[in-house]
Amino acid sequence: MSQLALIVEDDEDLASIFAEALRGVGFDVELVADGRMAQDRLINGVPPFLILLDMHLPHISGADLLTNVIKNDERFAKSVVIITTADARMGEAYTEQVDFVMIKPISFVQLRDLTSRLKPKEQ
Amino acid sequence: MNLLRRFLTVSTSDPDDTRRRRILNILVVGIGLLSLFALITSLVPFFLGVLTWENVSLLITGSVVTIFGTLLIYLINYFWSGRVSATIFLVFLTLLFAFTDTPDQISGGRSLFAFTIPIIMASILLVPSSSFIFSGLSGIVISVIALSIGRFPNIPAIIGFFVIALVSWLSARSLEAALKELRVINANLDQVVIERTRELAEALERERIEAGRNQAILNSIADGVVVFDTQWNAILANPALRAMLEIPTELVVNKNFRDLIEHPRLSPKSRHLLYAMMEHDTQPPSFRVEWGEKTLSISAAQVYDNSKDRHSNIGTVTVFRDFTREAEVEKLKSTFVAIVSHELRTPLNAILGYAEMFKEAIYGPMNNKQVNMAERIMKNTQRLLGLINDLLDQAQMEAGKLTIQMAPVRPAELLENLHGVMDQIAHEKGLRLTSEIDDHVPDVLNGDGARLQQILVNLVNNAVKFTDRGAVQVRLFCPYENKWGMEVSDTGSGIPEDELPYIFDTFRQVEGGATRVHGGFGLGLSIVKQLVNLMNGDIHVKSKVGVGTTFTVTLPLVVPAENLEKWRNL
Repeated sequence: MSQLALIVEDDEDLASIFAEALRGVGFDVELVADGRMAQDRLINGVPPFLILLDMHLPHISGADLLTNVIKNDERFAKSVVIITTADARMGEAYTEQVDFVMIKPISFVQLRDLTSRLKPKEQ
Repeated sequence: MNLLRRFLTVSTSDPDDTRRRRILNILVVGIGLLSLFALITSLVPFFLGVLTWENVSLLITGSVVTIFGTLLIYLINYFWSGRVSATIFLVFLTLLFAFTDTPDQISGGRSLFAFTIPIIMASILLVPSSSFIFSGLSGIVISVIALSIGRFPNIPAIIGFFVIALVSWLSARSLEAALKELRVINANLDQVVIERTRELAEALERERIEAGRNQAILNSIADGVVVFDTQWNAILANPALRAMLEIPTELVVNKNFRDLIEHPRLSPKSRHLLYAMMEHDTQPPSFRVEWGEKTLSISAAQVYDNSKDRHSNIGTVTVFRDFTREAEVEKLKSTFVAIVSHELRTPLNAILGYAEMFKEAIYGPMNNKQVNMAERIMKNTQRLLGLINDLLDQAQMEAGKLTIQMAPVRPAELLENLHGVMDQIAHEKGLRLTSEIDDHVPDVLNGDGARLQQILVNLVNNAVKFTDRGAVQVRLFCPYENKWGMEVSDTGSGIPEDELPYIFDTFRQVEGGATRVHGGFGLGLSIVKQLVNLMNGDIHVKSKVGVGTTFTVTLPLVVPAENLEKWRNL
């Protein structure tokens, strides 16, 4: 099982904090800061074990990526999907479709603890 | 007829005089025409040679004299004096009768009755009492004639003349009295009619001024006003409405409201709102509709007629206000608040994250002071985030955008989350935070979980803020069968009685200068109250200075169908 985590987040600082939390747990981290680039990466690259997806992104929104790409492609069936949003209402609307919803502000410790529970045991 | 009337009538200021002169005119004209007829009937056989001059001379002379006599009397009557002309006429008549028969017959025989004619006429053509003068004159005439033929005057005839004069005097007098009375009645009637006419004219004028003033007021109102009858037919609309809707008044007035609602410029949602307004007697005081590019605020009020015994609805007044600018500003404001809150929250999230990384010593060991400082950064950031959330909630509530979304909620989970958020904060102040759930509270109930949580956290946060020692207690309970409630009590400083009515006001803490020690915008309780109201619930507060405060929230209890049986069996 791949140890790859894909972080899709347009804010540089948040992306760096999320990346640090995931690296701390032991994931290999890949960062994308834009909806269109994220779409290319998802379609053309290796399916990640974990996708941390911001719902508000430039060009293509996280909601569209989720509906049109991730939910539409068998390759992501086993991927753990966590969405991040500042809008609690929006988050509630997606609870059925994704594994976890995190409402911003997102705590470093909270994210680290959650992902450490999700990470597959190393062989 | 008019010409004849003018020919016969003499206009004077005295109605009695006018009447008498008119009668005299009729008589003299009649006699004059009779004489003319006599003249013609005597001249024709004379010229045909049937009769000789001796036969007709008397008749012709008499007729000509009579014609000129009546003409003279007529002219005197018409242009000068009725009294003189009547006197001349009656004297002439009396003398005429004196010469139309033999002296023998006149003094004691068949012609005596002819003298009664001027006596009776005198009472009509002159003043009533003048009949006595003419009875006297007739008496003298027959006496003179009798003496001239050596006879004794006819005393019974003279007495008879006086009796006739008496009778005609009495009847003429009563006739005149009756006429006078009639004239008085007529005059009074005229006066009454004049007064009534004047009053009516004044009332009409007042009505006109009043109506004009009302119309002027209606015309000068900047808002569009339409008045509907009970069947929603528009009976009145002012010019502002025409300008606002940019359609001719004819499309509104005398038309049913439905015609206006079906206008293509109205958005479907607005149409729905307007139909709802028509169909329901109870309606919100005002609401907004989209009319083309414009946003209009509409308020409707029923009009009641209180003037009669019954309190009856006579229609509806609707006021249209152009709300386009306000709506734009409002939209701008809520967009602004949303952007600002998002833009503020993102960097705060970053600060929080980095501070946590410090605290967690991600990049190497930290000493206690450094950890403490990271904790302070985190705490202050959390506070700032809380304030931004409050401001955003307040802005959303003001814009009417905050809605309650019902879903199954577990009350126990509300308390678990509450402890997760508040335990640390209470502990730091040395306070105990305890909670309990009454047996009657169902395991699952319908509610807006996030908002219920917010109410609880705000109330407990508030309690912790104003309590220095003791405990904060939270209790969930069921006061009645279809209600449930949340109670938060503390052992804090309490709220003075005169402050109690204002504690739910927006920005209250900011206004009350003395309370600034506790920080915050003072939005917490205001938001709680508004949320409770949105959930159709109530909030009450009991407080005693130095003893503590208890907030009680009561909400409608709805248990999801699948949990109902289980809850009933408890």
